[in-house]
Amino acid sequence: MTSHDVTLEWPDGRTLTLAVDEDETILGAAECDGAVLPYGCRTGACGTCSGRLLEVEGAERDADGTIDACAVDDAIAYRRLSRALKDRHRAAGYVLLCIASPRADCRIAVGSSVHTELVDNPWK
Amino acid sequence: MSDASTPDDAEPSHDHEHHHHRLEGPGYATPQAAIEEGGREKLAYVMSLYVGTDVDAPDFVAVVDLDPDSETYCEIVDRIELPNRGDELHHFGWNACSSSCHVEGLERRHLIVPGQRSSRIHVIDAKDRRNPELAKVIEPEEVYEYDLSAPHTVHCIPDGEILISMLGDADGELPGGFLELNDDFEIEGRWEPPGEIEMNYDYWYQPRQNVMVSSEWGAPKTYYPGFDLEDVEAGNYGRKIHFWDWEDGTVEQTIDLGEEGQIPLEVRFLHTPESTHGFVGAALSSNIFHFWRDEDATGGDERYRAKKVIDFEPREHEDWDMPVPGLTTDILISLDDRYLFGSNWLHGEVWMYDISDPSNPRRADSLSVGGTFGEVQEVQGRELSAGPQMIQLSLDGERLYWTTSLFSSWDEQFYPEEGERGSVMLKADVDPRKGTLELDEEFLVDWGECPAGPARAHEIRWPDGDCTSDVWQ
Ligand code: FES
Repeated sequence: MTSHDVTLEWPDGRTLTLAVDEDETILGAAECDGAVLPYGCRTGACGTCSGRLLEVEGAERDADGTIDACAVDDAIAYRRLSRALKDRHRAAGYVLLCIASPRADCRIAVGSSVHTELVDNPWK
Repeated sequence: MSDASTPDDAEPSHDHEHHHHRLEGPGYATPQAAIEEGGREKLAYVMSLYVGTDVDAPDFVAVVDLDPDSETYCEIVDRIELPNRGDELHHFGWNACSSSCHVEGLERRHLIVPGQRSSRIHVIDAKDRRNPELAKVIEPEEVYEYDLSAPHTVHCIPDGEILISMLGDADGELPGGFLELNDDFEIEGRWEPPGEIEMNYDYWYQPRQNVMVSSEWGAPKTYYPGFDLEDVEAGNYGRKIHFWDWEDGTVEQTIDLGEEGQIPLEVRFLHTPESTHGFVGAALSSNIFHFWRDEDATGGDERYRAKKVIDFEPREHEDWDMPVPGLTTDILISLDDRYLFGSNWLHGEVWMYDISDPSNPRRADSLSVGGTFGEVQEVQGRELSAGPQMIQLSLDGERLYWTTSLFSSWDEQFYPEEGERGSVMLKADVDPRKGTLELDEEFLVDWGECPAGPARAHEIRWPDGDCTSDVWQ
């Protein structure tokens, strides 16, 4: 089974690199390693497990610094529809770790603060 | 595990004409009996959660000491930890309430505690009121088999069965529906023919009138990640209420509340079992609608009417770009049907209206506390991080309690400090004769001091029934 190196990066600077098989979810692999990541539904509906791709090996960045959308799609395979993410989230590199398996080596920002980036307070 | 021990030959009889029948099952014969016989609340069960945070602990049910004569008054005296992380405990209910007061041998003993995000359903045995224990877990996969997810309101329905409103299908999309459990806490199946409604949220039933009313939030995939105005514009949030034939489990009438009725959440009939009047709070529009059966209407399918009777205006705030809506997230009716209480979570307000004439609510009093505009921003030196949210009232209508968390992802959006500081539970003393509310500054329960880290607190229940769980036959 092919595996890819996935490096998880927490806001406090902690990192963890895991070899994640292509048929494993990133959340599942992290749990096997004893890492605590937030989650809720585990079906791709709630967004609680959101991570943000920081780098995909070999991928170019767009002019605004985000990873090229095609590279995001190529780096992650989903076992179900990623319903909690809107197009704007996918384009910005957000990933639902409960249903995502890697197809390339990558670095991902994790922790509950990533989920809070998905929506702003619309009145403020 | 069944609590029911009705002998086969003993046909449960319940004479609706006689209110003073002998009470054989759980609960109280009438709402007035609950007021007179219930006594003061000494304990509360409160949904407490870590979901969505980095705290490595499951959500829990807090047992809070409310007895002013106790040494542990205002403390969390027990925590029932659940086996998994990630549930988002939200609403919960009893296996039996006053609606089963005629079912001999049935006890109000088990709490049905669903996980809103996980779709896992927990059964907690609260025979020992101070030290309840987890008795059973229904795993999400068992729920998904019925193409349902996101469990919300739990009511026992007569004869020991339990009905849970479910907000989505197995994928977190629409339609939602209702899941029925039997008195052994096994899934009995879907209660209604699938497809009667698209969106679901809260519901209340009035068995003597053979009617149930249900409200609408949105698809789980819409509201789970947080509140997005794009979804409002796309019509992804609800604005309808549905009137059901209670026995058939079919929708008879749907009322679209329109722009002023966006996101109708908590829905309550008056407690008097004869009444066909009720209220629903439209959270986003921050309006309260009165609904009632119009006896003069011809034809059975258009008999209920709804009218906006309370309107909370948005308020300007110098630090906010747009006028801030009140966000009326919870309402309840006192057991004597005299007052409607509610919370405006964003403004930071609890309020009470006299509903003696339900079509003309009269503002009695309000308290400005917490939230974006609250006049009181700390209690006992403890800063409040959010506005009043889930409310619960004593049976005698003299003490109103509330917690401050709405939904973990929505909390993060509107009150990010709540995740760092945790929720609080506060209390106001109510004078039902004068129609006044007064904050009790001596009362504070702090979820910021939980051993695993600050937790959020949501729905509140009393061990022997309360204003938002009991229904009378
Ligand atoms: S845990 Fe809900 S989307 Fe991943």
